[in-house]
Amino acid sequence: MTSRISDSPRTVLRLHRLSRRRAGRVAVQDLSLQLQAGQVMGLLGVNGAGKSTTLSMIAGALRPDSGGIELNGEDFLEHPVLARTQIGWLPERAPVWAELSVEEHLDAHGRLRGMGGAALRQARTAIIERLELQPLARRLAGVLSQGQRQRLGLACALLHRPALLVLDEPANALDPVQVAALRALIREQAAAGTAVILSTHLLAEVTAVCDRVAILHEGTLRHDGPVRADDHAALEKTFFGIAMNGGTEPARAA
Amino acid sequence: MSHAFVNTLAVTRLEWRRLLVRPLAWVLAALTLAWLAWNFTLLLGGFLAGQIQRAALPDGPGFIDLVGVPLLAQLAQLAFLVVPLLCMSALAGERRNGTLPLLFAAGVPAWRIVLGKYLGVLGWLLLWLALTLAMPLALMHATHFDWGKLAAATLGLALMLAALAAIGVACSSFASHPALAAAAALVVALALWGVNLGAQMAGVNGGAINWLAMSTHLQPMLRGLVSSTDIVWFVLLIALALALAARRLDADKERG
Repeated sequence: MTSRISDSPRTVLRLHRLSRRRAGRVAVQDLSLQLQAGQVMGLLGVNGAGKSTTLSMIAGALRPDSGGIELNGEDFLEHPVLARTQIGWLPERAPVWAELSVEEHLDAHGRLRGMGGAALRQARTAIIERLELQPLARRLAGVLSQGQRQRLGLACALLHRPALLVLDEPANALDPVQVAALRALIREQAAAGTAVILSTHLLAEVTAVCDRVAILHEGTLRHDGPVRADDHAALEKTFFGIAMNGGTEPARAA
Repeated sequence: MSHAFVNTLAVTRLEWRRLLVRPLAWVLAALTLAWLAWNFTLLLGGFLAGQIQRAALPDGPGFIDLVGVPLLAQLAQLAFLVVPLLCMSALAGERRNGTLPLLFAAGVPAWRIVLGKYLGVLGWLLLWLALTLAMPLALMHATHFDWGKLAAATLGLALMLAALAAIGVACSSFASHPALAAAAALVVALALWGVNLGAQMAGVNGGAINWLAMSTHLQPMLRGLVSSTDIVWFVLLIALALALAARRLDADKERG
């Protein structure tokens, strides 16, 4: 697989010793990572490994107990308003406001992120076309299937052209055609310079779209390295080594 | 426009849209306005029937005393049920649907989420009050109007609705389920209304317990007496309830 890392080495995201406890147990501990513009990083781990907690902190929905998050060189924890313009987040299970139509959803997300007027209308039209949501545009989100909700959530995450795209299990409930379209979309975003973090349970998803993979186990980073499409077996060996035996591989810097 | 205003307005629009689409808001509006309209006709009938006797009294009660204020008093009674139902999903519903993190992730601070939700509900309630007021106002050219008394009663009702909405939003921020939020808001509102009942029955008309009661501050306004102390009481209650709601939401973001 050819590298999809952009020529620009600009660091979009830098996590420094991020830690967070949840429900009385350590969810994430001393997590340090960097992500460059145009890079797609897969975040792997078994259930409870701390993937969603990590993504929630990066998206600004959850405060870390300690550690730092830098977004394009600025302290994100000091300036949470950066999330408005620079981060697009698709949470797990893509929650929606059931009473709003697809178009209204996009409008609401745009307004919450400070968009308005013609710019919002243009962005909404473009993303509806890009994600082929036209037939659903006036349908209430409450009646959408889970796969359709995922696409709506993705549209909301991409609406404001974020510098960092945070996707939590984006392929959930998508059919194979939609999964292929999602992969193409992720590649397209990376080519345009967007940094992407993709949390998934599917190793094939990682080898298909990611440049790098980070493996979390019991809240700590056990592996961080490049990934190649033709190296599925190696990734599988690394992942199962960590997941089944709690094996530790020293995390390498990106 | 500042970011703070834009954020708050976006949350308000979102809440308005949800209220407009939700059948509950329409059903509540339709049922309560129908009930109030029926009572308005009864009050008006009584007023017309007693007009000849009252003509002999130089300072007898007028249209506002016999129709306008009693109608608003009925609205106040209905508000104890309507406002908790209207507010119950404001934040508890967001939490239950998993959409609260979407607001946090959009960089909207907790206090702006609370304020935006509150303004959304308050807008609906003020529209409800305006539609109720339209009934007596329809007769403004047909009878003598005591505008001062009507304005004072309207101000009292608006403040009461605003206070009940703040309590409703605060309860919604603490509850895990909208129904629990509605029940809690009803209990808190009734407790605030009647906290001094015992003292009054014992013949005590002053003191802290009477000051705490909402009825102490609303009833003078319904009689046409506006005092800054009463207005401050309502404003303090609203600020306290909204501050508690914002604090609870902040804790949500901390706890996850």
